[in-house]
Amino acid sequence: MQSDLIAEVEETLKRIQSQKGVQGIIIINAEGIPIKSTLDNSSTVQYAGLLHQLVMKTRSTVRDLDPQNDLTFLRVRSKKNEIMIAPDKDYFLIVIQNPSD
Amino acid sequence: MHTVIRELVKNAKSHAFDGFEVNWEEQNRTVSCTHSLQYPEAQERNLHVTSVSWNCTGSVIACAFGRMDDGDWSTEKSYVCTWNLHRQGLNPKRPDAVIDVATAVMSVSFHPSRPSLIAGGLYSGEVVVWDTGRVQDPVLAKTGMSPDTHRDPVCQVHWVPGGRRGEFLVLSAGSGGRVLLWTVHEQSELVLSAGYGLLRQQLPHKTMLTKPRGGSSVGIASLALSPWDSDTFLVGTEGGLVLKCSFSAQAPAATTPDGESVTLRAPAKFCFSPHCGPVYALHCSPFHRNLFLSVGTDGFAHLHSLLQLEPLVSLQVCDSYVFGVRWSPTRPLLFAAATGEGSVHIFDLGGMSLRPVATIEQKSGDRPVYCLEFNPRQTHLLAMGNADGTVNIWHLSTELTEQGPKEVAQLEHLASEVTE
Repeated sequence: MQSDLIAEVEETLKRIQSQKGVQGIIIINAEGIPIKSTLDNSSTVQYAGLLHQLVMKTRSTVRDLDPQNDLTFLRVRSKKNEIMIAPDKDYFLIVIQNPSD
Repeated sequence: MHTVIRELVKNAKSHAFDGFEVNWEEQNRTVSCTHSLQYPEAQERNLHVTSVSWNCTGSVIACAFGRMDDGDWSTEKSYVCTWNLHRQGLNPKRPDAVIDVATAVMSVSFHPSRPSLIAGGLYSGEVVVWDTGRVQDPVLAKTGMSPDTHRDPVCQVHWVPGGRRGEFLVLSAGSGGRVLLWTVHEQSELVLSAGYGLLRQQLPHKTMLTKPRGGSSVGIASLALSPWDSDTFLVGTEGGLVLKCSFSAQAPAATTPDGESVTLRAPAKFCFSPHCGPVYALHCSPFHRNLFLSVGTDGFAHLHSLLQLEPLVSLQVCDSYVFGVRWSPTRPLLFAAATGEGSVHIFDLGGMSLRPVATIEQKSGDRPVYCLEFNPRQTHLLAMGNADGTVNIWHLSTELTEQGPKEVAQLEHLASEVTE
């Protein structure tokens, strides 16, 4: 069972990585600890720490505005690239893409 | 997961953000001179600004006075002046601190973390560390009269990290061919910790050099440290050579020992394609570990890769001497060069032409600009020191300071054009 799950995760990561302009993928758990990454160690730790805080803040903003609402997807667009974060109960999936690459 | 893939694909095809620009900062379209600093006593004596340095907080600018032309100025006294640009009531003609020095000062460098310490290299060959926070005597430590000191003018001083955290040593390069490393013993002296000597017969070069007149020592005109590799340093010589050197070199220098307390070592490892004339400035790129610039009296700026002999790009800065060159701290492809014609030219390696994208004319007419430094904290400020004794601080436009989204990649591409 466990190995099926791991295989599925690997398969999905490969599909994401093959999309145009994807520069990195990080999966962090609910506490913000990185569990899988395609980036180097220090970048992973930096992204994980900063984005975990951002997601938590964004989610509480959405729920404060409307308690029946909840965050589904977060996209941060900057001059150089776009960071997409898909939250889930157990983990957050972070993808960094430069769409014009 | 499927959502993510859908969004990634949509993103790659989307034109929604084409041409969309956001300005967080006030856009500054012009280059303007914010301060023109002078020390009247130095100007009356026609002293030149030989070197400028910003302190680590970016609020204080120091300048050294001396002379850059020929002649024996060893008996002429001089000054090091500092101005705090953030202070209320700043008077540009009255420095906050003036340090009297017995001879001309050729180079100054603020300490990387202690905002009041300045190292200076003098025409007499001495190296001094001053503390501008001390009321009485600003001299914190200096090289004594010993066989260890330079016998010729010091052309550059730099602070280099030492073995322990937070410890810094002073590196001095002299026109006598010596590069010396000093530990600072406060309240007393600079003690020689390591030394290197450059001699013609020990240089790794393939070209035939004409037989040197006089001794075999190599006159050093400039030195640069690599921010990427603490073992590497670059030396530019009065003869036009550009050398890659190593702090960990072991071979002894072929100098006759003269009572020095350490054995001098021969540091040169590689010789790049030379300039025609003294190389007055070298600077390593803060954005790429293999790239550096060299400029000299031949009026050319060479962009070199550490990996090859010939320059990657060779561009003519001006028809006169080039005394200083500095990479922009924020734009990987931009650099500024100080000329003997009195102007500073700014070049963009990503541009189509080899002509400068901006030229800053000093108000002093055509007196040379001898040195320039970007402010480490307020990176849009560029300080320049002139032959007429003024230090001008220029505020650069946003276009010259804001990094474009593809610049790092473009620089990487430039650096990879290394031929075997």
